[in-house]
Amino acid sequence: TGGHTTEILRLLSCLSESYSPRHYIFADSDKMSEAKIRSFEQKRAETFSNSQFTLDRIPRSREVRQSWTSSVVTTLYSMLYSFPLTYKLKPDLILCNGPGTCVPVCIAALLLGLLGIKRAIIVYVESICRVETLSLSGKILYYLSDYFIVQWPDLKEKYPKSIYLGRIV
Amino acid sequence: FRFKESLAEDLRKADLVISHAGAGSCLETLEKGKPLVVVINEKLMNNHQLELAKQLNRDGHVFCCNCSTLVETLQLMDLSTLKPFPPGQPEKFALFLDKVVGFQ
Repeated sequence: TGGHTTEILRLLSCLSESYSPRHYIFADSDKMSEAKIRSFEQKRAETFSNSQFTLDRIPRSREVRQSWTSSVVTTLYSMLYSFPLTYKLKPDLILCNGPGTCVPVCIAALLLGLLGIKRAIIVYVESICRVETLSLSGKILYYLSDYFIVQWPDLKEKYPKSIYLGRIV
Repeated sequence: FRFKESLAEDLRKADLVISHAGAGSCLETLEKGKPLVVVINEKLMNNHQLELAKQLNRDGHVFCCNCSTLVETLQLMDLSTLKPFPPGQPEKFALFLDKVVGFQ
């Protein structure tokens, strides 16, 4: 969604063309991200000749401030989509930055790893908006990700296993 | 207007921006190098949205106030005390990721 998409495209802006093909997964309720992504990829294709990307939508796992119990249900529902999609894509690397959408994808990737089908590296970058507290996705993925990046020093202190590179978006 | 596709044009022409504490609004404004006064409405907002506004205020990049103190803030503020907001560095992320993945 919105801010998350802008941030993740900035994170991608300096990546080399070795990070290809890129598979974007976002919520079906998201109206604006597709346009932003296409615009980013179009610009990229002007520099790199062999640019490849795909777009996939899954049901949104949780609305802002949705209750706990219903969130579990909607997340499980999203997993019905995220699991076959992740299985199909078999990513080497998952980069995510906080929308609820990323949780079912990461869980699916972890399952694929446990089943010996495909082991993905999961890199989570917490949003620049998060100065003192982690988002709910962050709190969950702090334990599930391989690399957890924060953008403010307070968070690095509170979450010692995190990585602080300064502001990267 | 209610909603615009992009505020980039309006931002470019502005000398001062008065905004709510939404992260996108704050960051977009600061990146364009415009002075920013952030109006905080604690009743309307998610608590976590305040974190960024407060930090930016602490670091001297914006002025903060609430609806009732806005006029006073505008009258008394000294824009020259605002510190410029350096851009983020996605290159650092790229370097980090290259190491993680094994592209050296």
